[in-house]
Amino acid sequence: MAEHQKVNILMVDDQPGKLVTYEAILNELDENLIQARSGKEALDHLLKTNVAVVLMDVSMPELDGFELADMIRQHPRFQNTAIIFISAVHLTDIDRLKAYQRGAVDYIAVPIVPELLRAKVRVFADLHRKTYQLEMLNRDLRTLSARLITTQDEERRRIARDLHDSVGPLLAALSMNNGLVHQQAEKLGPQAVEALRQNSELIEQLSKQTRTISHLLHPPLLDEIGLLPAIRMFAEGFGERSNVKVTVELSPEIGRLPPTMEISIFRIVQECLTNVYRHSESKTALIRISPTRDKSLTVQVSDEGKGIPLDSRVSTLVGNSHGVGLSGMRERVRELGGTLDIQSNGNGTTVTASLPVGNMAVVSA
Amino acid sequence: MRTRFLIVDDSDLVRRSLRMVLQANPDWEICGEAADGVSAVEMFKELRPNIVILDFQMPGINGIETARRMAEIAPAIPVVLFTQHASADLERHALEVGVRSVVSKTNAFPMVGMIEALLESGDSNTTSEHSDSKNPD
Repeated sequence: MAEHQKVNILMVDDQPGKLVTYEAILNELDENLIQARSGKEALDHLLKTNVAVVLMDVSMPELDGFELADMIRQHPRFQNTAIIFISAVHLTDIDRLKAYQRGAVDYIAVPIVPELLRAKVRVFADLHRKTYQLEMLNRDLRTLSARLITTQDEERRRIARDLHDSVGPLLAALSMNNGLVHQQAEKLGPQAVEALRQNSELIEQLSKQTRTISHLLHPPLLDEIGLLPAIRMFAEGFGERSNVKVTVELSPEIGRLPPTMEISIFRIVQECLTNVYRHSESKTALIRISPTRDKSLTVQVSDEGKGIPLDSRVSTLVGNSHGVGLSGMRERVRELGGTLDIQSNGNGTTVTASLPVGNMAVVSA
Repeated sequence: MRTRFLIVDDSDLVRRSLRMVLQANPDWEICGEAADGVSAVEMFKELRPNIVILDFQMPGINGIETARRMAEIAPAIPVVLFTQHASADLERHALEVGVRSVVSKTNAFPMVGMIEALLESGDSNTTSEHSDSKNPD
């Protein structure tokens, strides 16, 4: 489905006649053919261009083909470059070829069968093209993924804000008015008093539900006061809801952080605790946030549960309802330029995120 | 001498109900209303109320910051934080800036009793407030 994007094929031979022959054979593949007369010229091209396949004569006077191949293989940049040796191959040569563990290597014997050469080059060229397309897709996917997370966060904040601004005042007014009627309850008949009492209960239920929804959507203290109180409040509420005993160790010198970092750290902690509750069967959890000497922040959530099975650790794309699982965590950490480490066995799990804080110094609260 | 309230909330619905609740007590009167923190601080300076009922989440500066500024001007005037997000953590931060009490907006029933208790305990403060000449403005 993708258009044929031409790849670069580098042909290296000290004899111009041979280069002409290779060109004639490979023309119909409709790729970019580049000629080099020497090892040095070949390296020049390799450094300037993204080469998919290097076609080279093993025995060239000034530079042994294998030496050139060694040089190519040493650069991690050229891992996607395939090398095809043209030679009268001896047994020892085959052994040397097998020594190249990284990257595609093949050989073609002389005299060259044109169809065979085309076939070999075509295979490597296609592979290179597909690898490139895959990398592009991956990059797009990551961008989308990051944007999805940001959009989710913003939307949740907006809905929580809407709840606070529209439903909240209505509830507050209702509650206060109800209180006023309560004060004059002696003027009411028994049924009205009962209805009034029920109203009070209903209002309390209403406000509890609204609070819960709002808190799960967006941590209430995060924007106004900061990360640490928001985490403490969440941990407290979580402990009550889940019966997991949560210990919180937050370094007091951590002040306000950039908003994207604060919400991401909060969501990571939230997701970790949700996993503790739903999967670990652990009775306890520990949240630790502390600065490190090299201007970064360590965020750690650990439990004493039964551990995460290995295949779940690798990719949990669809996670709990309020996060996208470990995959989302990795994405958040990556966006912040940090690292995520998960240690897990039958005695418990520890998730550690290490995030650079850099110039935005951790300000004293 | 009636007790003078300054009420601060960005919702006029809430202010209306609050007005009704407070004015149910004949000894209480509303001397001013504000819809945001900055105007609230200005009114506080001008009017020198006996007590302030202050919303937490408002556009511009929030209730904690507003309370902090008020405490700088006249720390003896009690400030009550009025919020949908009442919690132990918020209370801790509120107390740090001199707020006397945090009341839940949606469970406002105990508020009246709590305000009465506050005013009673601070009665000596109320009279001394009017002779407070330490203000910088």
